[in-house]
Amino acid sequence: MNFRTAIRGLLFGTLMAAVAITATAAETIKIGVNVPLTGFAASDGTSALNGAKLAVKQLNDAGGINGKKLELVIYDDQASPKQSVPIATKLIEKDKVVVGVSCSYSGATRAAAGIYQEAKTPYISAYAIHPDITRTGNYVFRTSFVGEVQGRAGAKLAGEILNKKRAVLITLNNDFGKSLVAGFKEKANKYGITILNEYPYSIKDRQFGPIIARVKADNPDVIYATGYFFTAGPLVSQLRAAGVKATIIGQEGFDTQTFIKIAGPASEGVIITTSLDRGSKSAETKHFIEQYEQMFNHKTDMVAASGHTAIKVAAAAIQAAGSTDRAAVRDAIAKTDLVAATGTISFNSLGEVIKDVQVQIVKNGEFRHYAVISDAALLAPPAQ
Amino acid sequence: MLFFDLLVQGLIQGGIYSLIAIGLTLVYGLLRILHVSHAGLYTLGGYIALLVTNLTGSFTLGMIVSMVGVGLAGMVIYRLIYQPILNKPPFVALIASIGMFIAMEEIYRIIFGPYGITFVDPPLQGTFTVANIYLRHSEIAAIVLAVSLITALSLFTRYTRIGIAWRATVTDPEMAQSFGVDVIKVRYLNFFIGSAMAAGAGGMVALLNNLVEPTMGSVPSYKALAIIVLGGLGNVKGTVIAALIIGISEAFGTIYLGDFLDRDSIAFALLILVLMFKPTGLFVRG
Repeated sequence: MNFRTAIRGLLFGTLMAAVAITATAAETIKIGVNVPLTGFAASDGTSALNGAKLAVKQLNDAGGINGKKLELVIYDDQASPKQSVPIATKLIEKDKVVVGVSCSYSGATRAAAGIYQEAKTPYISAYAIHPDITRTGNYVFRTSFVGEVQGRAGAKLAGEILNKKRAVLITLNNDFGKSLVAGFKEKANKYGITILNEYPYSIKDRQFGPIIARVKADNPDVIYATGYFFTAGPLVSQLRAAGVKATIIGQEGFDTQTFIKIAGPASEGVIITTSLDRGSKSAETKHFIEQYEQMFNHKTDMVAASGHTAIKVAAAAIQAAGSTDRAAVRDAIAKTDLVAATGTISFNSLGEVIKDVQVQIVKNGEFRHYAVISDAALLAPPAQ
Repeated sequence: MLFFDLLVQGLIQGGIYSLIAIGLTLVYGLLRILHVSHAGLYTLGGYIALLVTNLTGSFTLGMIVSMVGVGLAGMVIYRLIYQPILNKPPFVALIASIGMFIAMEEIYRIIFGPYGITFVDPPLQGTFTVANIYLRHSEIAAIVLAVSLITALSLFTRYTRIGIAWRATVTDPEMAQSFGVDVIKVRYLNFFIGSAMAAGAGGMVALLNNLVEPTMGSVPSYKALAIIVLGGLGNVKGTVIAALIIGISEAFGTIYLGDFLDRDSIAFALLILVLMFKPTGLFVRG
């Protein structure tokens, strides 16, 4: 609807003006952030931004970077490419940010990546998963898994770790769901999994009655369900209410306490592949979880950890480069070897992250550690 | 068995669509306005039902408060948004309504947060099994609510003075006025009842999903338009039948057409098909 966009645009313009006025403090290192704070993706956007803010607070409390404080320049992109493109230009040319971080979805991130690449300014995607984002060029990096990598881990989890061979796929019909399922299908054979059926659904669906009726007839051992917490919560509770007992495997999109709240007792035993390990022994991850929950007064999630990680990667690179020269910072990001909240981060030649996949299970109303998948060959991200 | 499962799911969905679409078709019948912000009232119904239930522990009370509260909110929207611009061309009211709907979504987000809210202890979670068809108690409640509200509405418009006056006004406002019907009162009544029914649907959907999000109304905001066009704008009976047809088509379509047709596009594919052969919708206004 065009009226909608026009009115949102107007609101957004006002917001930008407000941000521009407040963002004039001198002697800081600026990191630009595009993030959906209004519209349909506002919940993920808020989490990611909270994670990013915590990272800045931690770094500034510890004395900043190269003697200067970090500062986030934040704009609401409503997860829309129409917004993220002008935002990218503004961040690069007016705000003169050293690095850009996308706390947004694939559409917005992919569109903005081209602007960053052209301006030779490093850009880090915190949790957008579309494979083309990093293919934009050598200034674009990603600290989260592409969908395929996580999908392959899902196949290993189902076929090898859980030894469940008869699978039904319930697939969210967007780039997120499709790329996850592509990875799962790619490795299904290798782990002896038979795919009985696949049911696509739209991101707007909350009622899954018809699909569930079919799943009951399929009688699978395991259901590989892709989605976000707001689709997965109703889906899982409706599956269990209909008497479906099969193990349910989810992914990052499930990874928030809100999922458990929505699905209630039905969420018990749901297993997910993700980037955040609640049982981690790493001090960085433990501090992240503790301080996040202290600062924002709700349980943390994978999106928040991803926003946190992206900022930490950017800051570490600025420190390693010893300057705010964008080319030097890009080179430093490419050489990253950093322990972050989502694990030990490095990048391949395309700028895709190399890290372990965390497997978590819902137990007593919380995500808990279940396993780690660190099979380098299986998890190899695309290199071109 | 799959056939009955799908049929039942379609009827549940269709019942919910009817409750939402009746208010919309009534407003169109009376004022010739496409009341898009109706979907915002539906969301408000979800929020109120859920919050009152969490506060008091009674879902019944939550539903009553929600329906009455949203009914009043509907009257306020009529008074503040539509009444001042009734003599302007219809697109003015449409733009105002869309603007109001966006504002409502963002207000919900600011007040209740972007994550959506859930029942602390969701009621009616048991299941009822007959011949291998599992029905959640909440699904049964949704059907019962839809049937009883629609029946009550039909009795009301048939057997009470104000109901008959209302029907007369919808059919021919000028003639009704000349017979002494208070048109303004009828309009308020119209918004109260239509909005209350949408709130009933919102409360039930909140329970079925155990989730109320700021954007809960975004799909109904346009799908209900397809339903009322299909049902013959302003025709309540047609709207209910169209809602059921769309609910059932979606249930079967999700399974048999899901690979190439998104669930939300089924309503519109059906709409295009019907309009090609019957441009007035399935049922002519009566």
